[in-house]
Amino acid sequence: MMKNVPGSLLLLLVINVTLDAEKIGLRPPGKPVLTMCRSPEKETFTCWWEPGSDGGLPTTYALYYTKENSDAVFECPDYHTAGKNSCFFNKNDTSLWVNYNITVVATNTLGRTFSDPMDIDVVYIVKPNPPEELNVTVMEDKSWPFLRASWESPDKADTRSGWITLIYELRVKLEDDGEWEMHLAGQQKVFNIFSLRSGGTYQVQVRCKPDHGFWSEWSSTSYIKVPDYFHREKSMWILVTVFAAFIFLIAAWLIHMNGHSLKHCILPPVPGPKIKGFDKKLLKYGNSEEILTALVVPGFPPTTSSTCDDLLVEYLEVYIPEDQEMILEESKAERDLLKSEALRSDNDSGRGSCDSHTLLMEKCAQVKETDIGENPVMKEKQRHQQEWNESPLAYAHKDLLSPDMSGGRVKTWPSVFSPLPQQSAATLSQTNPLVMAKQHCHSDSLFPLGSTSSYFNHTAHSTEEAHRHSEFYTTNNHPQKLQARSDLNISNIGYSETPTSLQLPPMQPTSYVEVQEVNRDNMVLLQPAVSKGCCGDGRIDNREDYSKVKGMSSDKVLLLQRDVVSHEMDLSKEQKINGALEADSSSPQVSTVSPAQNKMSPTVDGYVDTAVMFTLPTH
Amino acid sequence: IPGNFNSFLLSSAWFAVLTLLYLEISMRVGTAPICIYGQAGCPSSSLADFFDRVIQQSSRMHGISSSLHSESEQNFLPRRNFIGKRKCHTYSIPTPDDKENAQRLGREQMIEVILRLLEAWSDPLSQFHLSMSPDQDQDFNQYGSNKALEISDMLHQLREGVTKMADKMKILGALGNSVTFLSPESFVPVSDFSFYKRGELNSVDHHNLLFCLNRDANKVKNYLRVLKCTTFPGTDC
Repeated sequence: MMKNVPGSLLLLLVINVTLDAEKIGLRPPGKPVLTMCRSPEKETFTCWWEPGSDGGLPTTYALYYTKENSDAVFECPDYHTAGKNSCFFNKNDTSLWVNYNITVVATNTLGRTFSDPMDIDVVYIVKPNPPEELNVTVMEDKSWPFLRASWESPDKADTRSGWITLIYELRVKLEDDGEWEMHLAGQQKVFNIFSLRSGGTYQVQVRCKPDHGFWSEWSSTSYIKVPDYFHREKSMWILVTVFAAFIFLIAAWLIHMNGHSLKHCILPPVPGPKIKGFDKKLLKYGNSEEILTALVVPGFPPTTSSTCDDLLVEYLEVYIPEDQEMILEESKAERDLLKSEALRSDNDSGRGSCDSHTLLMEKCAQVKETDIGENPVMKEKQRHQQEWNESPLAYAHKDLLSPDMSGGRVKTWPSVFSPLPQQSAATLSQTNPLVMAKQHCHSDSLFPLGSTSSYFNHTAHSTEEAHRHSEFYTTNNHPQKLQARSDLNISNIGYSETPTSLQLPPMQPTSYVEVQEVNRDNMVLLQPAVSKGCCGDGRIDNREDYSKVKGMSSDKVLLLQRDVVSHEMDLSKEQKINGALEADSSSPQVSTVSPAQNKMSPTVDGYVDTAVMFTLPTH
Repeated sequence: IPGNFNSFLLSSAWFAVLTLLYLEISMRVGTAPICIYGQAGCPSSSLADFFDRVIQQSSRMHGISSSLHSESEQNFLPRRNFIGKRKCHTYSIPTPDDKENAQRLGREQMIEVILRLLEAWSDPLSQFHLSMSPDQDQDFNQYGSNKALEISDMLHQLREGVTKMADKMKILGALGNSVTFLSPESFVPVSDFSFYKRGELNSVDHHNLLFCLNRDANKVKNYLRVLKCTTFPGTDC
């Protein structure tokens, strides 16, 4: 072999010389490259190279190697066993833990080319053969099958003596599926695969590697088909389905039971329109006309006739008068008046309503358009009294005839035994029972009247029952405001001035006023009981039944009396109209017929059937 | 009413949990203990188990030495011509270089060789650890210093383990009395010691040292495995 080399070189040289013309296409061989060296079992190894260009000439390759710490060059012992361009080192030539320096030389007639040397230690280039005898079987584990894969180490690798130690790796894949599933098996040769798909076909492969080396190729694929265990799976799914359905039913039932409250919790109801007396369903189903008619609630809006007067609550306290008791009741009346005042202020819950005593007071103040204070009132009283004295009739007449002006509402008909000042007071026959009127000060007209008449008892009671308050309307039916003053003043004044005047006239058969009718405006029309006259106006045909203004108290107290005297009946007749005669709120005038009274025959008993006491501020 | 719903949810959740637990437990694979090496009660397992532990230790040591060597390889590219002239200080220790030679050696000699190798490396490793100075090759030195210390400890433990194992084998009659484990000096020639005592080790010396260490660790591991499979055939062999 060694001799051949110079011979071949000589030949190449000759060829080169002879073929000068063809030197252009011929070159020395290209540089070969040692690709890799591998040992399958750590006992032998093989090296492969890649030849370079041959330069157009036949090229031979040779491999030379040296061992560690030795300069001896050796050539490859076996070029053929491992195939072309390879060198196979058998067991005798293989030494472990020794560095080999290997070089490949390419030679052609034109030259030689050496490859780059490669240093290898056989221990580190071990790449075993793939494992053999891969066997995969299906095993049953309580009807949950699994795969058991078993294999053997590659034939050449001597793991039995411990010379080489291999670790294995498995990979599994469902047929026609995507990715391999890798499993490292270590040094064992058996492996179990779980969690299989029922009825699927699996591919299994295995490979191995020494602890320091290269992985082998994958072994041949082993196919295995997993049997169907659908029935087992199915039972589990049935269980799951039943369980879920059970829970669903329970939840639905609970929601149904608590649906209402849940609905309120999740979707709180939106407050809808609430109109008193209005049916909401009309909005849904009714047409527009129905809705509009429904919206028109009777009684709303309030008509003109209804005012706060309607809402005013008045108390009437009627005493059955006795002559003897008159005096007693005077004081009692006083007391009652006070009580009434007290009660008046307390009985009302609505402070701001018309019933309020304080409001009334305010209203009184407001109503008084005239700047009549208490002092002026006194003066007026005096004046009025004088006037009265002078021409009581005139006044009375005037007052009586001026219903428009003086049309005021008399809330009650207490025949206040207001003792008129001086003579008038004396003339007043107030023997009759006083009708104490606990009167709430009306918003329009305020009549705090204390005295009551016993005559009024019967009627008053009925009226009370009928209406809490009664009114006197003027002829024109326009209630006019009356100014009122505090009862106390009135009564006091009335009482204080002429206590003597409270001498009750001799008892006469009391003539009662009966309720003629009750207006819708809570107006009670009174009428002497005997008379059968009509009229809501209060006109009385029967003269005899008229009540006559007997006297006038100091403050707006109009004393009516029943006047038997005919000639006075006219007066009383007119007077009867309302009793409450008052001019405008500006200057209410009480016309009391005290002088007339004087003129009257003594038969005129001081009974005041319907006595409305008006306390006039002007008086 | 929401309270009822909440209590119902809670009870249903408990029910679901219990059902799932039952299903899982019912499908669990039953296992039975197998008498493997290392467990008490298994017959004649103590020595094999001990052997296994020794082998594992040697494998770990080889792993560390390999990582050290590869680190050194990256940081220091050896000159090509130098490799051929590398000489490890343990070259004088005759070691079998193929399977037939190793199998021909016998157990006692094998243990002897192993012990010699281990002995030969205890001093150089400590030197190596000490010689890792910070000024040279910062990263590697830090890494190498830690690893050198670790390997030194492992070596020490391995030596003890192998010695103990040899004693046990001797007691069991697996080894003849001809094996004598004498002082370290008898194994390694003095010249080898001076190889590393010349002075400060430079990086080239470091690299050579690691290369030699890696190789010898591999040898030890391999020899131990062969020894085990010769002594205890059939198990993992």
